Amino acid sequence: MTTDAPTQTDDATTPGMIKADLLAGLVFILLGLAIFYGAWTMDRLEVRRIHPFTVPGLVPGMLAIALTLCGTILSFRSLRTVAPGGWQQLSGAMLSGAAGRAAAVMLLALVYTLGLVGTLPFWAATGLFVFCFIMVFECWLAAPRKPLLQSLPWALGLAVATATAVTLVFERAFLVRLP
Amino acid sequence: MFDGLLMLGGGLAHFLTPISLFNIAWATLLGIIIGALPGLTATMGVALLVTLTYKMAPDQAILCLMCLYCGAIYGGSRTAILLSIPGTPASAATTLDGHPLALQGKAGTAMGLATTSSALGTIVGIIALALIAPLLAEAALQFGTYEFFWLALFGVVISGQLTAIDDPLKGYIAGILGLLVAMVGMETLHAHQRFTFGITALGGGVDLIPAMVGAFGFAEILGVMKRTAQARIVSSGDRVIPRLADVFRFKWTTIRSGLIGTFVGIVPGVGEDVGAWASYAAAKRVSKEKHLFGKGSQEGLIAAETGNSAVIPGAMIPTLTLALPGSAAAAVLIAAMFIHGIRPGPLLMTENPEFLYQIVAILLFSTIAMLVFGLTLTKPLLTVLSVPRERLMAVVYVLCVVGSFAITQRMFDVYVMVGFGIAGFILREMKYPMAPLVLGIILGDLLDLNLRRGLLLTNGDPSPFFTRPISAVICITIILTILMSIPAVSTRVRSLLTRGRGDASAQS
Repeated sequence: MTTDAPTQTDDATTPGMIKADLLAGLVFILLGLAIFYGAWTMDRLEVRRIHPFTVPGLVPGMLAIALTLCGTILSFRSLRTVAPGGWQQLSGAMLSGAAGRAAAVMLLALVYTLGLVGTLPFWAATGLFVFCFIMVFECWLAAPRKPLLQSLPWALGLAVATATAVTLVFERAFLVRLP
Repeated sequence: MFDGLLMLGGGLAHFLTPISLFNIAWATLLGIIIGALPGLTATMGVALLVTLTYKMAPDQAILCLMCLYCGAIYGGSRTAILLSIPGTPASAATTLDGHPLALQGKAGTAMGLATTSSALGTIVGIIALALIAPLLAEAALQFGTYEFFWLALFGVVISGQLTAIDDPLKGYIAGILGLLVAMVGMETLHAHQRFTFGITALGGGVDLIPAMVGAFGFAEILGVMKRTAQARIVSSGDRVIPRLADVFRFKWTTIRSGLIGTFVGIVPGVGEDVGAWASYAAAKRVSKEKHLFGKGSQEGLIAAETGNSAVIPGAMIPTLTLALPGSAAAAVLIAAMFIHGIRPGPLLMTENPEFLYQIVAILLFSTIAMLVFGLTLTKPLLTVLSVPRERLMAVVYVLCVVGSFAITQRMFDVYVMVGFGIAGFILREMKYPMAPLVLGIILGDLLDLNLRRGLLLTNGDPSPFFTRPISAVICITIILTILMSIPAVSTRVRSLLTRGRGDASAQS
């Protein structure tokens, strides 16, 4: 099938992406080998006299070989492609403002999910998360930044509304015992 | 045939109740809003809504999910036209001509045409669903363990190939990763725990809904928040309700795109975006106004919107008859069906034949609702688009957490969602498609069970996998698909074909 879709070739063949593919290929090779080892050493249930072709590790082992093969092709392909300045471009992308914004979302999400939920009452954790999220992204990481006093009422209002609505809907209407 | 018509009538009558009509209205509208908001995809919307439909009757739950799905795929066109940002990936092709039309002051015309094209596309797909699904279900009864193994593999391979057109290798890797995720937990043949590392929560495997909410929800949030620029909204000043002459001017484009979209939908795990691009490419190839494509061509817009909407009913064909999801959102629908006690697959037409026609009826009602909302609620939908994503995404993440937690009420599922979200984001950034990954998670068990069951039946002899007619056909298709994705092979084949054509024309 051919399409006139705007191709991703420009992005895909940037020197940074070629180096990223090399790293990913190596990760897939390691992952594939680890899974193959796990599948090979998996219990073959000889005690239960099951047929050797139906051992639980058969399919994971085959998939691990396929992953290792794909990882190897990816790595070789990356090694064969000329990518001047690839590592600099890759590290530049990883340290860019966009990456920082994504990392900020991850951090907020992890603090909320792993730290606040279960420690604080759910409504309090949710309200706090929504408030912080809006303030961080409107007053600190936005371009241009919004004035604090302009965002504060919105952040507070939305935090209270979300915390109340989500808690009431899930606990009262759907009888979900929230953490 | 008359049985089918009677059951379709029954399906339509079944949903002609106030509660059903109310559910159709809100779910379609919610779908349009979700689709219109950049960053919220149809799959994410359906996955989140599953958690809100537990307490509903099965028919009403599926009704809400299907309506949301249809609404979301259509809703993406609003953003594509007004912001030049596809609301959902399915609307990416719509941006090419929709936004230039809006810039020419024809945003209303573009939205009107997008609405009618989406409705017509869905109708073409609905007709195919009503005609093909019963036949395919009957044929699927002939399928055995060998055929199902190949079908599962075919689904992952073709999805990997078509969702990563530039680099199928990445599509295959995503598919293999998905299959490997499906290997975690208790396997069904001997009830043996695999790769659980002593973690009790992993015993039941990785649940699909949290994984999908992570891969399509949290990953999307990360992708959206990564960007800083906010797009400028183009307002609509002209008429939204299109003239009949405009709609029927490109009737052949509509029919062709509807058929292409339906066919793409039938192919497992490929989805609406490929349907839209394939229809767009076909329309461009045969158009008399090729030069207008990408500059505000109404034909291009119609092709893209008809194509993506026709995928929805098309995707329901393998979903209902083979339990192989035709798209990522259909994969969530399969999970929802199982949750509500409906078993899609070859036996559906035997066990619950009226269900297929209920789906047809739902799609028809949803199309009507989409048409009404799309043509009348242009101004309020524009207001929705002005919600800053900083505020929206915070709420969406909370819904991702609660949605994942609500299924089994354990924090482990929330951790799965977070893990898949981060992994999905990294993979997406490196241009790995998510659809094969999700399809792999769904089809992993089918593949594993049928391969080992087949080998058990033949006492280790693999020959039936290659000698049974249907198995052989699917196996050859898979091999050809993989071979054609290797640049050296495909270039060679293309040059041979070109030479062959050249020789033939020289002789004539």
